Amino acid sequence: MRLAGLAFRNIQRNRRRSLLSGAAIGVAALAIVFMFALKEGMIEDIAGNVFKYVTGHLRIRHAEYDANEELNPLHLRIEDSSRLLAQLERRGEIAAAVPRIPFFTAFYRGERTVNGYGLGVDFRREAGVMDLDRMLQAGGYPEAGARQAVLSVGLAEELGLGVGGKVTLLTKNMYLGMSGMTLQVTGLVRLPVAGFNNRLFLLPLDTAQSLLKMGDSVTEILILLQDRGALEPEAAALNHLLAAGGRQDLAATAWTRLGSWYSLIRYTDAAYNLMALFFLVLGTTVIINTTMMVVYERMREIGTVSALGMTQGQIVRLFFLEAFFIGAIASLSGTLLGIGITVPLSLHGLDISKLSEGMSLEVSNVLYPRLNWKSTLLVFLYAVTVASLASLFPSLRATRIEPVEALRRV
Amino acid sequence: MRFLIALAWKNLSRYRRRTIITALAIAVGLGVYLWMDAWIYGVKLDSQRNLVFYEMGAAKVMKASYWKDLGSFPLKESIENLSLVEERLRPLGVQMTRRVPFSGEVFLGEGSLFIRLEGIDPVSDGRLFRLKESVEQGRYLQPGEQGLLIGAGLAKDLKAALGDLITVRCRTRQGAFQTFDLEVVGILNSPNPQVNRRYAYLPLSLVDEMLQMEGRVTELVLFFSGWDRPEQKVEQIKTALADLPGLAAVSWKLLASDYFAALRGDTIGNTLMLFLVFIIAAVGISNTMLMAVMERHREVGMMRALGMKDGQIRLSFLLEAAGIGLIGALGGLALGAALSFWIVTWGVDYSSLLEGMDYGYRVKGLMRGAWHPEAFAGAFIFALLASMVFSFIPTGRAVRMQIAACLRSQ
Amino acid sequence: MKRAIFALAVLIGAAWAGRAISAEEIIRAMERNQVHDTAEADGTLVITDRFGSRTKTFKSFSAGEDKMLIAFTNPEEKGQKILKLQEEIYLYFPEAEEIVHLQGGALKQSVMGSDFSYEDLTGEKGLLSLYDASLLGEEELDGRRTYHLRLKGKKSGVAYPLEEIWVDAELMVLKKANLYALSGKLLKDLVVKEVKRIGGKNVPVAFLMRDKMKKVSSTEFKLANLRIDQGLPPKIFSRENLSW
Repeated sequence: MRLAGLAFRNIQRNRRRSLLSGAAIGVAALAIVFMFALKEGMIEDIAGNVFKYVTGHLRIRHAEYDANEELNPLHLRIEDSSRLLAQLERRGEIAAAVPRIPFFTAFYRGERTVNGYGLGVDFRREAGVMDLDRMLQAGGYPEAGARQAVLSVGLAEELGLGVGGKVTLLTKNMYLGMSGMTLQVTGLVRLPVAGFNNRLFLLPLDTAQSLLKMGDSVTEILILLQDRGALEPEAAALNHLLAAGGRQDLAATAWTRLGSWYSLIRYTDAAYNLMALFFLVLGTTVIINTTMMVVYERMREIGTVSALGMTQGQIVRLFFLEAFFIGAIASLSGTLLGIGITVPLSLHGLDISKLSEGMSLEVSNVLYPRLNWKSTLLVFLYAVTVASLASLFPSLRATRIEPVEALRRV
Repeated sequence: MRFLIALAWKNLSRYRRRTIITALAIAVGLGVYLWMDAWIYGVKLDSQRNLVFYEMGAAKVMKASYWKDLGSFPLKESIENLSLVEERLRPLGVQMTRRVPFSGEVFLGEGSLFIRLEGIDPVSDGRLFRLKESVEQGRYLQPGEQGLLIGAGLAKDLKAALGDLITVRCRTRQGAFQTFDLEVVGILNSPNPQVNRRYAYLPLSLVDEMLQMEGRVTELVLFFSGWDRPEQKVEQIKTALADLPGLAAVSWKLLASDYFAALRGDTIGNTLMLFLVFIIAAVGISNTMLMAVMERHREVGMMRALGMKDGQIRLSFLLEAAGIGLIGALGGLALGAALSFWIVTWGVDYSSLLEGMDYGYRVKGLMRGAWHPEAFAGAFIFALLASMVFSFIPTGRAVRMQIAACLRSQ
Repeated sequence: MKRAIFALAVLIGAAWAGRAISAEEIIRAMERNQVHDTAEADGTLVITDRFGSRTKTFKSFSAGEDKMLIAFTNPEEKGQKILKLQEEIYLYFPEAEEIVHLQGGALKQSVMGSDFSYEDLTGEKGLLSLYDASLLGEEELDGRRTYHLRLKGKKSGVAYPLEEIWVDAELMVLKKANLYALSGKLLKDLVVKEVKRIGGKNVPVAFLMRDKMKKVSSTEFKLANLRIDQGLPPKIFSRENLSW
């Protein structure tokens, strides 16, 4: 008799049991696929936020800026920035290059002053880098050159300002003299990098340059690459370009060399992967468990066919095939269902803002799970393998018992 | 009823393998859930611990006018009736240490850096804060000495080593310029990066003398059990100090609102992950319970044929399920406890992953878990209930079938 | 008889002339040269630190010790003004829509990154109200005879609890000042580089202040076209007038 055919018939014979076991395996596969995509999405999200708002893939600054970063040394700047930007934008490897000027300031509110962290940005260029639409909580963005700004929600609260309000800020300009300017608040933003939301405000780059007396200079240019893998070669290429253009005072640094942010991302990556691993173990347990149950429940059957002359080897192979078929179908369904849930979410995003209540670390309010086709395929194969192999242990044990004993078990 | 319990118990031992497998499914699901929860909770607690035990304490008592102007360290706004305040707080089970923080300029190479200095009482401070354990080089402060304890990051910025003399320039309480020449007696490397980079500690008696404090103190730092939920204790403190005018009692959560957003709080992804674990555990439990009952239609048929009432049959199965659930849940607690123990005591050391970071000092890559009793209790109850619920439905089916159909099935 | 009276007068005169001058008298004489009913000048500030030198130019106006207006004219800070009225400091920025009233801790900030703080500008109502002065003796400094005085803060709130000043004995003008912290450490020193005779007074018109605790940190202050006691419209020392 063909064992495969028998296996199939057995599966169909006790539909409920097969369905139940299959369901468990399917759900496990589904959950694992989704879980992996979720963790990938979270890691990418955190990394992405660091790239977009802090380090870029590469960052060009004056070579001595980093060493003096605490002092916010505006004079250690990138002069003639427009020309350099034009050069960078012509490079095919670069997906986006944005100029920025971060600076410290104090907001004057009569008797008290509130510290702030300003970021002069080119809003037009930032549209390709910062998630401007998602960040905006109220109002709108400033016009170029206008004395306007958007405040982070925490800062606005601290200052007691809303959209339309005005506030005067005092800061040290590039010449270490004082500068003061009154800005109108055009909107409120919430950034995914949570640490920024209490002090940050954004204003048009040219306004910042006017305030800080910087002319056409900026203090940093953030670069996002088309291919993140080309990090080191592109860094080298850029540094070569800068030197060749007579700009030895500047340096392009890869994010992997930026101490604390790099460790944050690696740490997050490792942590989430470990969690996903344990989740996988859990899923595996469910698959094993259900498969084993299926076999154990059929002790009588084993006894019967054994008494009728089926050899141990045949019985074991039979159960193996049954487990394999159930596992394959269930795993396939589960995986496909997992893909079916994950792909739309990866495009549309999972809105968790209602759950988050603003207490997240570098995680946006919308998560985009990321499906990795290779690992999804692996999950599918894994589930099938585990289910099949899981049948071996109980079936081997069961067939070692005397048929009489088996028959007696009900 | 006793009969039913006895029946249930007998059945459990009769179907030992099934009982074990099912209970195991429950146990593993529960165990992994508890483990993951302990991990997430531990990370959250760790970051809170970093704030409380290395920087802020659980709460602070200070003059209201000092609290309003916290950023400028107004030494003139010292606590009035200090001993009275301490007396009132002692019976509340609150431990205290006195501190005088102030801002000072330290001179290095060609420039200077503004840091935060804390005048501390080495005896009480050393007992309550955990800075003493973080001393990496040299030693902790001794009362009355002209010594300075600095963070590793600050040491690197100042290019200072043990034994070096550091000059600090600041203003006294009355506003006169003052300078200190202090020897670096210890360098600490704590889990709190802010402390490592911007804090320096010196004995309170020295600060008292040099800053013309005349025995006055600006901050009273408090510690108490249940620090992770300080609101209630702070209310008690406020009540105890109600009749003393012009005082403010502030919990660490309020003090840290600036940092809070930047800490590793509850990330939403974590919640989602736990939810998924939950689902899988539920699937595991339900699957096995369902299968276990489904396989016993014959048994049910026989019991009905023998005259047992439907209600009694269902109850007996329910009790069996409860029994399995209980064993499984207990096992789960044990497994969860074991896994949590591992991660609480030793944690997972990521330091090797973070090595080679060009950041001057080692970023601590140790992830520790924390005991979360509420999770244990909650999960236990859930496992128990889930087991019972998931046995309920198939039992219902069985009792509704024709007796003959029951007997025929297998 | 007349000869006797004359001789007596000469003797008394000589005795009077030979009487030692007190520390307070020196300080009062010095301050008479520094404080004017009105004064206006074109000023230059050269601020040097480890990142290099920056020059600011301004027009300054003052009336007595209570009122002062500084209007910056260099390109980077053009239009900015600092107004001092008694103890209060007001800042005007062309790009701001309100006048900033500096208070409290903000006064301790340095002006334009120099070694002067706003607090230094609010100035004291004369040294003698804050310090007990004692004459340590006469010394020669750069070929000039000077009085070396020690000033000890009267109350504990004085910013520089101890000062040493050298006053040119002939011109009654400050030559050099050392400013010390409570611990006795030298914080800053001030050297007068140039003195001009204007309106019957010896006025210091150029001086250099150095932060002695930093390697490279100095502020050079120069006044040109100084016009003293020629009257100034009092309304220029008002907040309303800041935005002209």
